[in-house]
Amino acid sequence: MRILLDKFSKSFGDVRVIEDMTLEIKDGEMLALLGPSGCGKSTTLFAICGIHKVTGGRILFGDRDMTGVPSQERNVGVVFQSYALYPHMTVAENIAFPLRIRKLPEAEVKRQMEEMANLVHIEALLDRRPAELSGGQQQRVALARALVRRPNVLLLDEPLANLDAKLRLEMRSEIRRIQLETGITAILVTHDQVEAMSMCDRIAIMNAGEIIQIATPQEMYRNPRTAFVAGFLGNPPIAFIEAEARGGMLAVKDADIRLPMPANATTPPDGTPVIVGIRPENLGRDGDAPIRGRISFVETQGRENLYDLTLANGSVLRSIQRESDDVSLNDEVEWRVRSDQLFLFAQNGERL
Amino acid sequence: MNASRDIARDGSAPLKARAVPARRSFGWLNSSKGLGIVLLTPALMLVVLFFLAPVVLTAVFAFTNMSTATGITGGAYQVSPGTLRVLTDRYGMRELAARLGQPTYIVDEEGLAALEEMGIDPGIIAGLRDEHLGETYSSRREFEREIRDLPDRPSTRTVKQISAEFSRSLANARFGNAGALVAAAEAIDPDLGDAEKEALLDATYTGWTWTTDNFRRLASSPQTTRVLLNTVFFVALTLTLFNTGFAMVLAITTHYIPERPAGIFRIIWFLPRISPAVIYVLLWKWLAWDTGFISAFLDNFGVRPRNWMLGSATNAWVFVILINGFVGASMGMVIFASAIKAIPQSLFHAASVDGAYRWQQVRHIILPHLKWPILFVTCYQTLSLLTAIDHILLSTDGGPGGSTEVWSLWVYHTALNNYAGNLQYGYGAAMALVLVVIGVVLSLIYLRLFNYSALIVKPRIEH
Ligand SMILES: Nc1ncnc2c1ncn2[C@@H]1O[C@H](COP(=O)(O)OP(=O)(O)OP(=O)(O)O)[C@@H](O)[C@H]1O
Ligand SMILES: [Mg+2]
Repeated sequence: MRILLDKFSKSFGDVRVIEDMTLEIKDGEMLALLGPSGCGKSTTLFAICGIHKVTGGRILFGDRDMTGVPSQERNVGVVFQSYALYPHMTVAENIAFPLRIRKLPEAEVKRQMEEMANLVHIEALLDRRPAELSGGQQQRVALARALVRRPNVLLLDEPLANLDAKLRLEMRSEIRRIQLETGITAILVTHDQVEAMSMCDRIAIMNAGEIIQIATPQEMYRNPRTAFVAGFLGNPPIAFIEAEARGGMLAVKDADIRLPMPANATTPPDGTPVIVGIRPENLGRDGDAPIRGRISFVETQGRENLYDLTLANGSVLRSIQRESDDVSLNDEVEWRVRSDQLFLFAQNGERL
Repeated sequence: MNASRDIARDGSAPLKARAVPARRSFGWLNSSKGLGIVLLTPALMLVVLFFLAPVVLTAVFAFTNMSTATGITGGAYQVSPGTLRVLTDRYGMRELAARLGQPTYIVDEEGLAALEEMGIDPGIIAGLRDEHLGETYSSRREFEREIRDLPDRPSTRTVKQISAEFSRSLANARFGNAGALVAAAEAIDPDLGDAEKEALLDATYTGWTWTTDNFRRLASSPQTTRVLLNTVFFVALTLTLFNTGFAMVLAITTHYIPERPAGIFRIIWFLPRISPAVIYVLLWKWLAWDTGFISAFLDNFGVRPRNWMLGSATNAWVFVILINGFVGASMGMVIFASAIKAIPQSLFHAASVDGAYRWQQVRHIILPHLKWPILFVTCYQTLSLLTAIDHILLSTDGGPGGSTEVWSLWVYHTALNNYAGNLQYGYGAAMALVLVVIGVVLSLIYLRLFNYSALIVKPRIEH
């Protein structure tokens, strides 16, 4: 089901958390709400499921205006960050709870509960209590409970935050599998860009209560709208250096480095201070614009090496390259940048 | 270098020498066991003095017939028309009672010695000894006739004096100990049997004695059943309606209203608990008096003013339960409210999106979390209601006509304060002992229940 937040605002007393946010989630799509802590992701989620009353705007499920509908009637499945399983109920009772509350016939409750338990692979744990489950198992139960009532939309509030690295990887694909299998519209709240990029069809990047950009992961990675977005996506992260437009070129501040203007950028007038973003994978042995610097840090990541390159002006660029041992710490090197992959931002962070 | 080392060595030696014995003599303090006993001693003494001693004393008193009449120290042996009637009625010794109660004159050496002392003519004394020693008369006139017939012919005044000295009646005599009473009785009737002596001692003893009659009396008294039913009624109704029921309603409603008004609300409900009982009950009395608020208010509608609290048994119960209930509800409210507060907010959020409306949240989330608090409050309040006395005493004092007399109040009325003025300490102690036994049994059951719960309650999921 399509979800539309139409000029939605939310404030707690005097604290304005979200103002005039418009966001559309397409039917069957999985959208990531990505942003730093405190930017209003949970608030948005709680508004969609009706736990928070909105202070302005509308929330539409399909064509139906849900703004004033209580959460009990919205038919939204939520996986809370803490899972919020009912500690006094068994796994089976937890999953069946939304159905029993709706007074479905007991045989039907049992059938659907078991079907859902099979879907998330917890058939063997039905008689246990939440306290007797591992984090990943609790997570699956929470997912089953959210899905069992066939909700209009599935909301996941940082569902993987409490899991260890391995389990997180496993549950990532598991959640995506279930979402694709059920074809449900889903919103995943996270502040982990890898999670957002690997699991979702589209990403909405939020900052301070505003949506900065909505796009597919690739699009957003290749074409960030602001420096904030560029900085949020990618690991190791993008590096920024200050420069100035000078005669159709970019002169790096306090360093004898000139970079060509990226082709897709609008050329600013001479003397304009700009910020140049260089992704680590675009700085290396091949490219068209040379950059000199000293290697100030080397980290071996197995297949690849991560280098920090300190320029004459003290700025640090990052480079990720195939593993090799021809360079070592404190070597002066001249590497190259692929100028068509540079991002150019104005002082205020807007992409040029 | 060497010197300083020497100093160091010399310096440390005496220190060590001093430290070692000290450590040895107080070494037991370092073991947790020894220290534990030392630290516990004051607590143990307090427990014995203030917790065990009252119970033990109650148990001891319960097996006596102490009352205002007997006093609580020992007594004397008092023969009176009353005791003689007891001898007749309870022991069936009518003849003995008659014998002891009659005026009796016995010519014995004791009396003769007394006559000598009084300076009576020795001739008369010798005559009495020779002719009448050892004789017994049951009427004064007969005895005096015999005296007049003596060879010396005493004057009428002397005859009276003499007869008085030989009067050996027991009626209205008081004896300090059992020996004196038996001696006196044997003087009247030398053939007194052991059973008769025993009965006499029992009947005339004015102090307290050991007895199990209190319990027999308690078991057979119709008032016992009535007071017991009153108590059960009072405890059950106050407990379910207020101490848990109303407390739960308060806790749940304050959970769903905003924090500030909820806090104010809770403080208001706490006021009865922290206001002095006398003042609190006085307010209720003002409310219910025939010139009080209710009467004054209903007067506007033509209802005749009356005392609403003591007007009828039903009214009295309503007030007793309301007064105690409002006091008792606060504890449950605080415990339930904090238990509800301990439930993670996310559970309520989850329940809301799962489709549960408020009353379903109460039923499926709150109540399961309140299982142990409810059990705890029920247990605790049963015990405190069983012994609750102050508010009832101050409000209805068990009235009207004993209709709100509960067990603890009955104990008080029997043993410590009643209109008749005969305070029956022993009987009251027996009643109190019954209460103590019930309380101990309930406590043991509850303690088991709670320990057991500690074992089976599984750790809650971490949030
Ligand atoms: N009940 C509330 N009262 C006042 N301010 C609130 C309330 N709830 C949230 N906020 C504020 O709203 C802002 C957004 O909160 P929100 O919980 O949506 O953040 P988030 O993006 O989910 O962060 P995180 O990633 O840490 O969970 C924060 O600044 C927070 O302080
Ligand atoms: Mg959050």
